[in-house]
Amino acid sequence: MVSKVLVANRGEIACRILRACNEAGLASVAIYAANDASSLFVELADESFLLDGDTITDTYLHQAQILDIAKNAGVDAIHPGFGFLSERADFARAVTEAGIQWIGPGANAIEKMGDKMTARITMRAAGVPVIPGEEIEETDEDLALQAIEQASTRVGFPLLLKASSGGGGKGMRAVEHPEELLDAARSARREAIAAFGDGRVYLERLLTGSKHVEIQVLADRHGRTIHLGERECSVQRRHQKVFEEAPCATMTEEIRSAMGKAAVAAATAVDYEGAGTVEFLLAPNGEFFFLEMNTRIQVEHPVTEMVTGVDIVREQLRIAAGQPMSCGDLQMRGHAIEVRLYAEDASNNFLPAIGPLSVFVPPEGPGIRLDTGVRQGDEVTPNYDPMLAKLIVWAPSREEALQRMRRSLDEFVVLGTTTNLRFLRELCDVPDVIEGTTDTTMIDRLWPNGWNPNASIEVEDGALMAAAVAESSGLHRQSHSSPQSDDFSGPVSPFRTLSRRYP
Amino acid sequence: MEHMFRTRGGSVDVTLARSDDVWILGEHRATVESDGRLKIHLSNGTSGFATVAKVGDCWWVHFKGHTFNFERIEPGASQSGDEGGLTAPMPGKVLQVLVEVGQTVNAGETLMVLEAMKMEHRILAASQGSITEIHFAAGEQVQQGSVLLAMDEED
Repeated sequence: MVSKVLVANRGEIACRILRACNEAGLASVAIYAANDASSLFVELADESFLLDGDTITDTYLHQAQILDIAKNAGVDAIHPGFGFLSERADFARAVTEAGIQWIGPGANAIEKMGDKMTARITMRAAGVPVIPGEEIEETDEDLALQAIEQASTRVGFPLLLKASSGGGGKGMRAVEHPEELLDAARSARREAIAAFGDGRVYLERLLTGSKHVEIQVLADRHGRTIHLGERECSVQRRHQKVFEEAPCATMTEEIRSAMGKAAVAAATAVDYEGAGTVEFLLAPNGEFFFLEMNTRIQVEHPVTEMVTGVDIVREQLRIAAGQPMSCGDLQMRGHAIEVRLYAEDASNNFLPAIGPLSVFVPPEGPGIRLDTGVRQGDEVTPNYDPMLAKLIVWAPSREEALQRMRRSLDEFVVLGTTTNLRFLRELCDVPDVIEGTTDTTMIDRLWPNGWNPNASIEVEDGALMAAAVAESSGLHRQSHSSPQSDDFSGPVSPFRTLSRRYP
Repeated sequence: MEHMFRTRGGSVDVTLARSDDVWILGEHRATVESDGRLKIHLSNGTSGFATVAKVGDCWWVHFKGHTFNFERIEPGASQSGDEGGLTAPMPGKVLQVLVEVGQTVNAGETLMVLEAMKMEHRILAASQGSITEIHFAAGEQVQQGSVLLAMDEED
């Protein structure tokens, strides 16, 4: 039984989960750091509890504190969202041992997939194709380097060195030539030891020109493990996805079926439960290879929801409560695209930006979904991830979805903080994006010296005129950041003096 | 009304004229809507709404799918690097010429007064120097960008 859920996360994904709890008729609990006291997600929860501490480690990552709140609040399930504690097997285990339902796979599955070498070995045994390469179990520096050198002759160049405990590009090195190998291996190991306390690295053949394609899976306790088709997330900057879609434009029914079977086999091999994502590299010749499995809900899950009609978070809640998943046979319908709106300066190496959201007006109209954790008047701070929102569009065809995305991005107004809105808008006009032939190196290839916005002189003149007219008309004396003060600035409002009696 | 903004491409001088509720910049027109947005009619025949917000000294403007961030340079703040100011910032009529060829002027001294849409606009010397040419006399019409005077600047 699940009746009251604590969401151990913040921002956009906390809002997504809290709303799902509300819709499912479950009581919800938010936890928040002091600097999140006025954030949207805190409002969406039935109850909210302040986390003691000033750093992320002391707040959203503080397992003992979060468990105490969960026990005191009497919750019977914890949803970790993504990031933070979502892939921490020790936390999943502690939650389970406290008699609280973990909304996600068991700690063993998280562990097996979290260690990349173990995952490769497990997948190989399950018959899932992995990228040709070799695991190096040696922990001693000299022995490990020797083994890496020997393995490299069998794997061939160019190759990738990856930390077994790695993620987000840490402890990862591309090696083009044999003479660069040992230096790269030493620095990858150093970085991995510093970041994860585990220097083990493995070798993979470097597959260039590949697409990043992933399969959404769902597994319940009633013996059912299914896949919900693929998402393509090849458009990445600094190893982070910015533009995601479902289905993949170049997918064939045969590859989808084979990849789906491989993903289900991967999940089954680790006794998976709940929602998860199996990531693959899809080579131009149609071959695909297991990359890793994310044992949690993913940022880009909405595009799958839009084309399958399945509410994945709602299914997570159902599965965690021990019920069978509700979705029957799936029919993929139309095309969905998601872009990630970041507070960052795309023209300055995508550096995070901060500032007030003086104006935040998302687009509206048919086929548009906005998942966000902010609203107008909020402040973007350097404390957390700079993702402000996910804009998702759906349309019957890919072409129409792109047209809808262009229209939506043109309508989206964010003032006061630099965002990547225009970068996302220009992505929609890139020939590779229009053709669906994107690969993971596209952004670096298109803008090797960085991206710059491209507005016509006329449009810039119009904008300058707007600024000048606004200044001349004293428009700045009207506050955009606090709409309430506008509403209540007149004579005494009757609503203020109204007093109600509650029984 | 004259405003100076810092853009990605450098400083830009924007001098507006006004006729009743309509603001004028060259061939562009703008009106302020009741919701605080601005309706802009561009000289190329297209129009659109601009949303604006001021944060500190910066005007943020969203117009036609683009977002701009213009820092307003306060009048009187260093106007270095811009030895211009000797061209007409807008179409109008020369109201007064206050200098003669050969005259020595100080930085900030008024050289000429223009009138456009019943608003006066003063042409100031950016630095100390002497006037070498005067191209218009009082009462003459000037186009936007017309060179009004020339001067030798002393460093």
